[in-house]
Amino acid sequence: MKALTHSKIILTILILGLAILPVILSDAPWPVQARDYLFGNAKADTGADNTVSAIYLGYRAMDTLGETLVLLVSITGTMSILINLGRHKMDEEAVKFSLEPEKLPRHSLRTNLIEVVASKLGPIVLLFGFYVMLYGHISPGGGFQGGVILASGIVFLALGTELKTKLTNTIVLSRIESLSFLFLMLASISGVFFESGFFGNPVKTVQNLSPNFIILLNIIIGLKVGTSIAVMCIAMMGGSHDH
Amino acid sequence: MIIERILIFLLFLIGFSAIVAMRNIIKKIFGLNLMNAAVVLLFILEGSRIGSQAPILDDGIIHMVDPIPQALMLTAIVIGVCVSALSLALAVRLYQATGSLDIDVITKRLADEH
Repeated sequence: MKALTHSKIILTILILGLAILPVILSDAPWPVQARDYLFGNAKADTGADNTVSAIYLGYRAMDTLGETLVLLVSITGTMSILINLGRHKMDEEAVKFSLEPEKLPRHSLRTNLIEVVASKLGPIVLLFGFYVMLYGHISPGGGFQGGVILASGIVFLALGTELKTKLTNTIVLSRIESLSFLFLMLASISGVFFESGFFGNPVKTVQNLSPNFIILLNIIIGLKVGTSIAVMCIAMMGGSHDH
Repeated sequence: MIIERILIFLLFLIGFSAIVAMRNIIKKIFGLNLMNAAVVLLFILEGSRIGSQAPILDDGIIHMVDPIPQALMLTAIVIGVCVSALSLALAVRLYQATGSLDIDVITKRLADEH
């Protein structure tokens, strides 16, 4: 019985390997037309120097909206599952972050390393996240990347200290998330009133499109992604962390 | 170029075999993550075959890589994070309901309940 299941597993893996081996080993040349078009026109079409930003906030901004919606749905599902779990927990005190000093050493999430490092690192990581987010149109980075760095900064702050900051309160974070989604919707329809269509760039200058619209979308998406992933991480590490 | 592809293929197979063979559902979820990472790496590798510079329009950039796979993989990474978060939450819920992370034990205990 045991040997049979092992041979079945090996057979399955072999079949999958044979199926995707041609995909991995194909030597078809990669098409260069799209790259050449973007090299020539991305700046004029969207106003962003970073062509990746130009694609996901200019040419395919609708897809970014869908991606944000997927993130929202996933966060909603995760939070509803985890919050229903917490309601049945007897010792909810044991999973809070800001514990009384005499309880600290027994708590599994609090080690000496976290005590020393996390609270000092938190603000610096937050600053770096805002940098990556705000300069996404001219340098590597953008809303999603900056948002994830923001989330790690907030998680550092939540793990770190007894410092009472509103940034690690899940209620405040959820409000920021909902507000930034509202602003994303408003920004997406703002182009309609300036004759450039849904998700069109409303800021027009004479020759080049201004990158301001890309910067605005980067900020909104960064706040949205950062707060939602931070809320999820805080919920997964245990509890709502409200003061 | 061929050696990177074979390594990516092996990474994908490791992820798949973790999904198929492992009994622990947390390990299955990490297998899913490995498959996601392999696909992302394959796309970035393929897109970088036609150039050598970062896709940022600046002075001195004449031979940039294809930015389209990078933009697509940005989406794929975010979806991967969503999938793993949701499945980890479900794993926690299953552990709460049955007291085990082993898929056989979970199936048996859930069958016993009904």
